[in-house]
Amino acid sequence: MIAQHLKKLPLTRETSLLVLAYLYLPIFVLIGYSFNANRSATVWTEFSFAWYERIINNPSIQVAALNSLVVASIATVLSTSIALLAALATSRPFYGRRMVEGSINLPLLLPEIVIAVATLLLFMSLGIKLGLVTVTIAHVGFCIPFAYLPIRARLNDMDKRLLEAAGDLYANPYQVFRRVTLPLLWPAVLSGAVLAFVVSLDDFIMTFFVAGPGSTTLPVYIFSAIRAGVTPEINAISTVMLVVSIVLVVLSYWLGQRGRSKAN
Amino acid sequence: MKLTNLRRTFAGLSLACLFATGAQAEEAKVLYFYNWTDYYPVELLGKFEKETGIKVTMDGYDSNETLLAKLQAGGASYDVIVPSHTIMQSLIKQNLLQEIDAPKMANFQYVKPAFRDPSFDPGRKYSAPYLWGTTGFSYDSARVPGGKLDDSWKEFFEPRPELAGQIGALDAPSFLINAAAHYLDIDECPETPQEAKRILELLLKQKPILKMYSSDNTVDRMASGEVIMMQNWNGSTARATLQKSTIKYVYPREGVAMFQDVFAVPASAPHPENAKVFIDWMMKPENAAAVSNAIAYTNGIESDALIDKKWRVMDAINMPPEYESRLRLEKECSNNSRELQDRIWSKLKG
Repeated sequence: MIAQHLKKLPLTRETSLLVLAYLYLPIFVLIGYSFNANRSATVWTEFSFAWYERIINNPSIQVAALNSLVVASIATVLSTSIALLAALATSRPFYGRRMVEGSINLPLLLPEIVIAVATLLLFMSLGIKLGLVTVTIAHVGFCIPFAYLPIRARLNDMDKRLLEAAGDLYANPYQVFRRVTLPLLWPAVLSGAVLAFVVSLDDFIMTFFVAGPGSTTLPVYIFSAIRAGVTPEINAISTVMLVVSIVLVVLSYWLGQRGRSKAN
Repeated sequence: MKLTNLRRTFAGLSLACLFATGAQAEEAKVLYFYNWTDYYPVELLGKFEKETGIKVTMDGYDSNETLLAKLQAGGASYDVIVPSHTIMQSLIKQNLLQEIDAPKMANFQYVKPAFRDPSFDPGRKYSAPYLWGTTGFSYDSARVPGGKLDDSWKEFFEPRPELAGQIGALDAPSFLINAAAHYLDIDECPETPQEAKRILELLLKQKPILKMYSSDNTVDRMASGEVIMMQNWNGSTARATLQKSTIKYVYPREGVAMFQDVFAVPASAPHPENAKVFIDWMMKPENAAAVSNAIAYTNGIESDALIDKKWRVMDAINMPPEYESRLRLEKECSNNSRELQDRIWSKLKG
């Protein structure tokens, strides 16, 4: 109803188009110039895949991409497992539940730079050497809420009568979880895992702070390479990361939707 | 009480694990190398590993500020870093480096005399030379009247009318103000408002005939003919000349800013012995030359004969010896001077 009403306001269409252009034009320009044969980011010459070939053959980028994938994969598995347990625990009422939920989701609200500095200080005071391990530990931390939210939402929507029915049929709690809860939750778990993966893959601030020898990830590489000038090489890596992220986000959304329609 | 004990034991155990892996790494033949991004040919690390058995992990940074921040925060344990000479004094003063005593290394004999005892690190206690370069200007000799420009900053700051609108300047206060100061025969770190005013006037007069202020893609701006003349680094000019042979580099006689990037070992380096092996190895002429050939910047090692012919024919890489007196090692300016420079810059760009 409200949407109908809004459409009648003057200039709604024009404004939305402007906002969309504002949001997406830079990205389209970035993608466009990644196919530019010329090195200059300002003059278009002809279509070429040369920059994609360059990034595939650049050993520094290969290492950074591998680091990104390793960190994101481990952080995804760990944070999703923790999020699943947390979601199950907080689905039952208990004293202080709101506070526990709040603290799980806090990383979403706190400024990332504050968490990054705090994490760095923690590692320092414990005397832990910075490297791929510290980056992964830090990623697990801020990935948890992203995995937690879809799982928790799905648990809320779940028909509790199914669990009671399983209990009535003499399934013990473990069997209920294994045969009923988990299969129903699975799409939400996957959806949360994919979100966690994307967030880890794209993270710069946290990684930048807690990175040590041998833990340069793709976003950190892009940042440190940009000083030498924005070359189409940077455009090409950014485009690849963008495509991977979009594919995964769509996948996550689709999994979430499928879970919902199946459950209903 | 019991819980605290348990916790303590657990913390102790996990710490012990970490230190155990740390101690193992100490024995291991590895080296953590922190360098400017894309400022070292990766293939050369393979050669180093083959000859010494030490495996190098290289990470990149974008600025001296990032390097300083990483070192000061602690925790990131790198063995070899590549600071610019301008921050060497502060690194030494803050006890962030350890002595390597480069003159005692076997290959120090190959270091060129001019690089043996630099003012920023007397006696080379803390550093060894890596690459160096200059910030002069480049021009396309095919497109200037007469095919040659005088080797003076005058050509850049008060150019011939034919070149108006075809000139680019670097978009960085330090480089542009430094050049203007040399042209006006003022100290590169202006300390008085009068000096600052003279620099500002020169830059304001030059501004309308500039096509752009930009520090990006200076190689391509020259090679593609977007500008005829551009304030530029010698390495970028050399790469542009490779694409278009008529591009020349000028070492202005009023003085040209020189930077030196050096190898140093942080105080917290986990593998200082490997670091010294690496730094010594890098002073071998064939290895220094391999870097110069790949990166197109000159090194401080007697390796001229090993530089590719394509670079050796260029003044930009193979500086004629008579220009040596024109080189002015960049200084670290005082806070007062930096404030003045900021003011010049904001008035110029505002």
